[in-house]
Amino acid sequence: MDQAQLTNFAKLVILALVPYVLASQGTMLGGRTGIFNVAQEGIMLVGASVGFLGAYLSNSLLVGILAAMLVGGVFGLALAYFTTTLRMNQFVIGLALFFIGLALSTLLFKFAIGVTLRPPLVPTLPNLAIPGLARLPFLGEVLFNQNGLVYLTFIVSALLYYWLYQTSFGLELRAVGENPKAADSLGVNVTLLRYGTAIAGGMLMGIAGAYLPMVYTGTFTEGIVQGRGWLAIALTFFGGWRPHLIFLGALFFAGVEVLSLRVQVIGSVVPYQILLMLPYVATILVMMPAFKGVRAPAFLGQNYDREKRTQV
Amino acid sequence: MALELTPDAPGGAATRLKNVADQLLPYLIAVVVAFIVIGLVIGLMGFDVLTAYSTILFTSFKSKNGLVQTLLKFVPLLLQALAFTVPLAAGKFNIGGEGQMLVGAIGAALAGIIFADWPLVVLLPLVLLASVLCGALWGAIPAWLLYQFNMNEILTTVLLNFISFSLVDYVAVELFRDPAAGHPTTVPIGAGGGLPLLISSPPLHSGLILAILVAAAVYIYTNKTSAGYELVVTGANPRAAGVFGIPVRRVFIASLVIGGMLAGLSGGIEVAGSHHRLIEGMQSNYLLLGIIIGLIAKGNNLAVPFVALFIAILEVGASAMQRTLLIPGEMVFIVEALILLFVLLSDVFKKR
Repeated sequence: MDQAQLTNFAKLVILALVPYVLASQGTMLGGRTGIFNVAQEGIMLVGASVGFLGAYLSNSLLVGILAAMLVGGVFGLALAYFTTTLRMNQFVIGLALFFIGLALSTLLFKFAIGVTLRPPLVPTLPNLAIPGLARLPFLGEVLFNQNGLVYLTFIVSALLYYWLYQTSFGLELRAVGENPKAADSLGVNVTLLRYGTAIAGGMLMGIAGAYLPMVYTGTFTEGIVQGRGWLAIALTFFGGWRPHLIFLGALFFAGVEVLSLRVQVIGSVVPYQILLMLPYVATILVMMPAFKGVRAPAFLGQNYDREKRTQV
Repeated sequence: MALELTPDAPGGAATRLKNVADQLLPYLIAVVVAFIVIGLVIGLMGFDVLTAYSTILFTSFKSKNGLVQTLLKFVPLLLQALAFTVPLAAGKFNIGGEGQMLVGAIGAALAGIIFADWPLVVLLPLVLLASVLCGALWGAIPAWLLYQFNMNEILTTVLLNFISFSLVDYVAVELFRDPAAGHPTTVPIGAGGGLPLLISSPPLHSGLILAILVAAAVYIYTNKTSAGYELVVTGANPRAAGVFGIPVRRVFIASLVIGGMLAGLSGGIEVAGSHHRLIEGMQSNYLLLGIIIGLIAKGNNLAVPFVALFIAILEVGASAMQRTLLIPGEMVFIVEALILLFVLLSDVFKKR
């Protein structure tokens, strides 16, 4: 591999990183207050569908992204309401939202566009070179000559890290996921934080979905998310529910994805079916050691009832 | 973390009847409300609501063909739902029924192709057994990962689905491709590997009886045996179950492997009964529907067959609606998701 190919490969990895990181940070955010979202795949599908339709109908990619964000937020709100206010089982509600997202994504597309042989396309997200930085050797091209959502991913990850670990608000947030009773008794508004993180998390997942048609396909297809939502949950565990480690872990996930596609294109002695399995097999393999030492929020997946005496 | 399973009602016949009625009412309301919601949407889109309703609900009963189609859908749905509810009883979420079904179908197809000239008495049991064993294997992987590494089973079962898609493609394209078929498909299995037909035209295979027998066995296992009781107790409160000497982690394993066997069998029956070969995409959306059925039935294995039949009716109605009225079939999926949501909600409000 020469210099140009290496640069190109690294650039593709950064490009592929975005949906994993956004969806995974969204998962992490909710998990930090105890809400374990398992509807990523469905929310990303709706995000992809609504993002595409919004961009196509308004002729503006930004409108599409905002629409996807809004819909993702609504899914997050629904999750928060059913689990935090009504205290229903988080996995069951998550699965139900996954179904609704799955059906809604196709339904919306069919109603708005109809069944066509040649689906309409939206333009791909343009690259925005950052003045100065983009001229750095190698890193400039890889990191600073990318589309806007790549930068958003950098910023969101950095902000989440700062917020969770350097501010007292972040400390309160983490306390809710570890011991809501204690946080509650210290005056932290548990319900509000759970709603807030679930909604913000859903928004990130919605954007992660909208990214796919705007970068890869130009249109919405039923198989567009291809398990990335589920892989994002794996990534969240892999990164130990910490924003900076999630970002680093995503390099691996994105790297495997790009690698498996590249080898398919180049052709190899290995049957292509084996290459298609690669991202999923690799995920399971790296999770084996990761899961043994992982520290997930103690209250993950549970619902808080302040009237009850025994918690955790 | 598990759902509240509804135990058999105690007391005499009268209280039992009242209990059943009490449990059925929320379902009725959920179905009605879901249909009203969807009727509004269909109406707003400018379609004929009443025709849509009658197509969804009555296509299965209008013709012999519709009825057979419904029963053929019912078989995999029933087994997929049980593949979800058995682990659910232990508090584990098996989202891998699809992969387990496909790997089961691969096992069935390989056995049926390799030993194609064997007679029915040997080949058919072999084909079905191969599917059950392969399904069990595919269920055992997440079980092992859970046991050994404490890896979340929702995640591993889903990831194994994606791996199984490529496996099917490998078998149907590289190993036993049928060159006459345009779509990745294997050559047919031997004639002895096919399930005998109950009705010849339209064909209805005897997998229906097998599935019902299996469903009865599962119900007896989970509700009437001590092993099944351990399962339910573990799901209700793993810590307490452990204190009382139940090997909790082994129960988790068993539940996921049994789930894999049931899903694997659904794949075997599809191969031996319906397709007589392995076809890419044959899993349809059975996994999601199976989960919906299991959740609507609230994990009660006595209720699962009835819910599965109802969903099979809706699904056959949905494809008819798409064909004749050009309303997207996904509409019915929304109905099903709404029914699920309303059934779950009814529990919340009953408690208050």
